[in-house]
Amino acid sequence: MFGNLLSLEFRRERLLKKAPPGPLRDFLSVPFPSPNSDCREVPFLALDLETTGLEANHGEIVSIGYVEMIGFRIDLGSATHRLVITEGAIPEQSAVIHQITDDAAAGGRSLEKVVSELLKVLAGKVLIAHHAPVEFSFLGAACETIWGGRFLVPMVDTEWIERRTLERRQQTYAARELRLSRLRDRYGLPRYRAHDALVDALAAAELFAAQVAERDTGGRLPLKEFLTRL
Amino acid sequence: MLGVLWGFIYVCDCESPRESTLNVELIEIRDFLAGHPPFDHLPEEALERLPRDLSVRYLRRGTPLPPPDADGDYLYIIRKGAVELRDQSDELIDKIGEGEIYSSVCREGETGQFTALTVEDSLFYLLPCERLETIREEHPQFAEHFNQSVRGRLRRALESLQAVRSSHTGLLSVPIGSLIVREPVMARPETRIGEAARLMTEARVSSLLIMDEGQLVGIVTDRDLRSRCLAEDRDPGQPVSGIMTRRLHKVEPETRGFEALITMTRLSVHHLPVIDHGRVIGVVSSNDLVRYQSANAVYLVGDVRRCTSVETLTRTCADLPELQVQMIASGATGYHVGQTISSITEAITRRLIELCQEQLGPPPVPFAWLAVGSLARREQTVHSDQDHALLLADDFDPARHDGYFESLARFVADGLDACGFTYCPGEVMATNPEWRQPYRIWRRYFDRWITQPEKKALMLASNFFDMRIIYGEPALHEQLHAEVLQQTHNNRIFLAHLAANALKNRPPLGFFRHFVLIGEGDHAQRLDLKRRAIIPAVDLARVYALSAGLPEVNTRERLKIAAEVSALSRESAENLEDAFEFIVTLRARHQAEQIKRGEEPDNYVAPSELSSLERGYLKDAFSVISGLQNALGQQHQAGRFF
Repeated sequence: MFGNLLSLEFRRERLLKKAPPGPLRDFLSVPFPSPNSDCREVPFLALDLETTGLEANHGEIVSIGYVEMIGFRIDLGSATHRLVITEGAIPEQSAVIHQITDDAAAGGRSLEKVVSELLKVLAGKVLIAHHAPVEFSFLGAACETIWGGRFLVPMVDTEWIERRTLERRQQTYAARELRLSRLRDRYGLPRYRAHDALVDALAAAELFAAQVAERDTGGRLPLKEFLTRL
Repeated sequence: MLGVLWGFIYVCDCESPRESTLNVELIEIRDFLAGHPPFDHLPEEALERLPRDLSVRYLRRGTPLPPPDADGDYLYIIRKGAVELRDQSDELIDKIGEGEIYSSVCREGETGQFTALTVEDSLFYLLPCERLETIREEHPQFAEHFNQSVRGRLRRALESLQAVRSSHTGLLSVPIGSLIVREPVMARPETRIGEAARLMTEARVSSLLIMDEGQLVGIVTDRDLRSRCLAEDRDPGQPVSGIMTRRLHKVEPETRGFEALITMTRLSVHHLPVIDHGRVIGVVSSNDLVRYQSANAVYLVGDVRRCTSVETLTRTCADLPELQVQMIASGATGYHVGQTISSITEAITRRLIELCQEQLGPPPVPFAWLAVGSLARREQTVHSDQDHALLLADDFDPARHDGYFESLARFVADGLDACGFTYCPGEVMATNPEWRQPYRIWRRYFDRWITQPEKKALMLASNFFDMRIIYGEPALHEQLHAEVLQQTHNNRIFLAHLAANALKNRPPLGFFRHFVLIGEGDHAQRLDLKRRAIIPAVDLARVYALSAGLPEVNTRERLKIAAEVSALSRESAENLEDAFEFIVTLRARHQAEQIKRGEEPDNYVAPSELSSLERGYLKDAFSVISGLQNALGQQHQAGRFF
């Protein structure tokens, strides 16, 4: 396990060498938090993307929401929400879910600008997302398209943390039980009515804080216990 | 440093209209804050900005506040979960939940006074104390929540309770002087009756003031012209002085509309001359008052006096619940309601005694019909039950005379019950032979209660120390009352027992979610306002009054006078007075709402009936009462009692 994690930092250095100058390179030049550091001291960034599809090669990012957390204190002053100008029309279905129409998205910024801004804040932090592969693949695709380089970040996935716990207990579960709103209910977190990238990012951050608190036995909480393997 | 940065972000949002929609993204949090005091006092822009100053923390059950790993000083707003507060002896003092705040960290001098612990997994919004300070400076209304004394808050509470429901607000407190619309119409005593009637008709007034050498000597009203002239076949050529009312009740321009109404109700008169520094400036009639206030208590008392049978009396009293509804709707407080309903109950009682005497004839020995408890204190509501007693002259001979008084007691008790004042469950009624006794027995009762104050004696004493004559021989009651006061005043042992008795009913700690928080592990679905708040306040006032030998029985009057004679500090007296007034007003309103819904009025208020502001105010009222109870308890324990 240690080797695998060590390779994360190793991989960052390798990608850094290949990265073209610009925001992606700047991002990769900041070391990742050590997997052995205590979670209480690690800076996190909870992120949620609203997209036009579930797969990066067929869809586009419509909006991005994120909020920072350190010492398990979520700083709402850092809360950021950005709409992205899309190239294709937004399919009706996802417009209904996210309540973002073409017109609204037209009021947004370019993907390059939004992702550059995000990478600046994300540097040196660990990403939190619920079902993180989506966020990871869309950001990866964006970096490929914009800068022609590969993206890498240490991540915690609140869905994976829960799934791993259930699997360790050899409990069976239905997929819907792992949804963000279900899990929040289970941890006694409030129900948020709104459904946008920022609220969902905040929701994931709170859920992670609750998950860690439940697993906190008073001793050390090494980051590697919660990192998702990529 | 961070604060500066956030400020910067906010300024950017302001300058670009498109970016300003960013704030709306935290609408979840803004809306939550907007629904809870003191944040509900913040103007829209401040509320929009506020979420950016917050951070979020999740703390597991059993975590102290502030948590050991706190990185700064914060105000804690509970978004979800619960926190228990305990004092140094680990006594539960409060339990707070969603939307409530824990601000001790931000208040100098409060840290260490008590401990706070999450008792559920909880989510908090944290506001840095420094930011709180800035917001307090910028928004005085918000700041009041933190700064205001309990007294200030209770005053505002009462106003809010009155203001919400009235376009007539303040009319009950309007100075009578401002109701005078015209110069008084006057005549000399030797004016002939016919001439007086003409004068009144021309001036279109219902009363005429009779003046002799600049002095007001009497008043003649429409009713006098009818009943004392026409009905008696009196010659209208006679001087008006022959039919005028000489015993005048005068009021000053500063007299409040309500006081005037009560005076009219008590005396059953419809006109009051208004005197300013010895000069007559006008007349206020019940019509003037009724024009402002739909409550027609004066007329109801008049109607009661005209009733010729229990049946008609019962029909007249059917309007009583409606009267309470109207009074509350026009901004009356609990004090107003208590005074008015008590005046009417008193009139009913008197009328019942008169009706009974029409059948039974005059009493064989002099007697005094005594009101006991809430009627004696003039604190009745339409829900009150009946409490009374008969004090008989010492030449009372049970064998020969008790038949008469038993019938009288039965008649009045049944009549009151028919009018909606149910029988006293504790049998404190003149129908009970125990409470239908001659003077010497009553004297012995009080003697025993005062010298052997065991539990039951104290309960009875509490009842019978609040006593007022309603009908009969005033001297009988005056003597008894004076002797008893003499005996209790400075009687340390009795007073110590009475004080201990006043500590039996403790107010709740407050509210937690939809429950009333009574104490450790004790919740109630509904708040028993009478037992938990009214009785404790009434009991306290009684102890202060008796210890100072004061004859007053009304709780408000007791507290006012007690402060004057330094039986308790002015501040405490005023706080308790305001707390009591808030509670009885809340009860009167609660009952009015039940009456409107066609339900039977009661004393039980569900927390869901209360706004979060009212819950806060009630909590203040509780803390005033329990604070004074604690003080009384300590005095008592330390043996420094009075």
